[in-house]
Amino acid sequence: MQQPTVSNEPSTTIEKIVDFLDARVGLKEIQAKMLNEPIPGGSRWAYVFGSILLFIFGMQALTGILLMFYYVPTADHAYASTQYIIHDVDYGWFLLGYHFWGSSAMVVCVIAHMSQVFLWGAYKPPRELLWLVGLALFGIVIGFGFTGYLLPWDQRAYWATTVGVEMVDKVPLFGDFLARFLKGGPTPGQMTLSRFFVIHVMILPAALMALAGLHLFLFRVAAPAGPFQGTPEEIKAKTDYFFPRQIWKDMVGMAAVFLTICGLAFWEPVVLLEEATPDPGEYHPEPEWYFLFYFQLLRLKMFAGEFGQFMGAVALPVLFMALLVALPFFDKDPERNIFKRPVALISWIFIMAVIAIFTVSSVINREFLD
Amino acid sequence: MLQPKLKSKVRCTDCDIGEVSKVILDPLSHEISHIVVSMNGSGERQVMMAMVQEVAVDLVSLHVPSAEIVALPPFKRDDYVTTHEVEISHLEDRLDVVPGEILVPFPDLEKDVKRRTFFMNFTHVIGFLIGLPIAYPILRFIMKPMYAPFDNGWIQVGNVSKIKQDDVGTQFQYNKKVKEAYMPEADVEKSVWILKASSEVLEKFYEDKDQDFHDASGKVIWTNKKEFPYIAFSGKCPHLGCAFKWRKHKTLGQVFLCPCHLSIYDATGKILDGPAPRALDALPIRVSASGEVEIIDMEFKAGIKNQIRII
Repeated sequence: MQQPTVSNEPSTTIEKIVDFLDARVGLKEIQAKMLNEPIPGGSRWAYVFGSILLFIFGMQALTGILLMFYYVPTADHAYASTQYIIHDVDYGWFLLGYHFWGSSAMVVCVIAHMSQVFLWGAYKPPRELLWLVGLALFGIVIGFGFTGYLLPWDQRAYWATTVGVEMVDKVPLFGDFLARFLKGGPTPGQMTLSRFFVIHVMILPAALMALAGLHLFLFRVAAPAGPFQGTPEEIKAKTDYFFPRQIWKDMVGMAAVFLTICGLAFWEPVVLLEEATPDPGEYHPEPEWYFLFYFQLLRLKMFAGEFGQFMGAVALPVLFMALLVALPFFDKDPERNIFKRPVALISWIFIMAVIAIFTVSSVINREFLD
Repeated sequence: MLQPKLKSKVRCTDCDIGEVSKVILDPLSHEISHIVVSMNGSGERQVMMAMVQEVAVDLVSLHVPSAEIVALPPFKRDDYVTTHEVEISHLEDRLDVVPGEILVPFPDLEKDVKRRTFFMNFTHVIGFLIGLPIAYPILRFIMKPMYAPFDNGWIQVGNVSKIKQDDVGTQFQYNKKVKEAYMPEADVEKSVWILKASSEVLEKFYEDKDQDFHDASGKVIWTNKKEFPYIAFSGKCPHLGCAFKWRKHKTLGQVFLCPCHLSIYDATGKILDGPAPRALDALPIRVSASGEVEIIDMEFKAGIKNQIRII
């Protein structure tokens, strides 16, 4: 930002409005603070995912609000109103498709964002809180996915919820209460739909906005971590501000994500299955693709029986999250270079490989079921 | 060493040269890297901290002659931004360049510390007075329909003439009338698997014991007799609640197979393979003289060894 050298008299109306606001709320200083954030070592494509996630959330909020103009969260109308959106409302298929594929994009970008932070060692002190709030946001994104796909009230919705809630039931002591609380009764029905609807459109968005705000605040307080190698002189020499180079990269990333989601909404439109009932007919229940690996994992012999069930449905995800929560507190080694952190690198590759292998094998398994 | 202060005099080895007009911070180390010296009307120079020999309260002494400072290029203001225009957290934390403190008077009425403590506690009390009475109603409000009594009514599901072969699972679909809270009564499509069992299968299934079914209070409401040839299995997989099917397995033959997590059961409902923790759940079944099958629709909690009835 250039220091204003001469105090020019505002000429155009827009300049007058801007000056009026600036005098009262310090607009220019806020803008300067927003844009002039030094990025150590300079802007990078690897840093685009946070901004992209914010963009995807904005679009999910927009399309979600629009869907609520027609959607009715009742067991006898949810399916019909969703079909109405798809088949009768102008561009309903597109907005619903965008919302549907947007959720997938959200999961992909969350994984990318977390991977980047993990590989760059950016969760290490002093950024522990930033990492923790990020994990909470990850949980919220998963919660969005889980509550969201009950809402169309089709077969996929019904079975994903049935299985998901049965897994919650396996939590020691509180499991039965939690499962009944989520279902609003002993079996999935209207109360379940109402609950999932409120959680999906009110509680999770509010929580996400609050925590994303906190995440950004903590990010600004802690400052970007920058690259994991290079001398301070090299890093300083390459440092630039958030605007314009990083914002340009973020915008290109957003455009790419937007076009991808539009393309998917266009070429892979949402098709509902039969309306939800406890009798699936010939349908083989399956969760959304990003839960497929976990679905396949639960088929393993090692998760058989009551104890195995508990291990697979409760202990495994809880332990995994606990490990991520504890990560910045036990990994105190200031070394951030991923190529000098073999355990971290191998763990990441291992987790990604498990996700990939189990996703693929669940897809292969489909053939053997028919 | 003290930090150089704004307005401090700057003295070279030979003479005073001006005063500190600005300081420049290193954005990475957050230390002062340069001072800017205003030379009594003849421009400003940017002086590295390395040239500073000593910093006193009002005086910065350099270890170079004034000629060397004058020879430096003029300070370029445009190469810098103020700390108000850029977001570098904690930049001013270790900085002490502002001469003195900027103060506003503390109101007289605010000087009574005891009263402040009282008000703080009072706020908490009011908070609890609002929060506690509303917490219980909220909890009860969101828990309303979580528990429902069991429905032990018999439901007609079809005729046994549908079963073509012994020891083969046959799916019977039926509609259960469900009245949930304020909703209109609705038909929920459900299914049950019924088997006409041969004597070996019956023996294997009952292991010489009749099977009792209980209501919520533990009273026996029905007994499936061990010699009765029809067995009904709840359509819900005891693994995680999916719906299983009767399928031909390439090594195990005809089996009940759940497509979700691949639990496999034989015709008697016993586990052959897969992650299920217990055998399929049998239901109370009776068949009228004309062959009409009736069951009591029960569901049990999935994923655990013991049967715990939920509806």
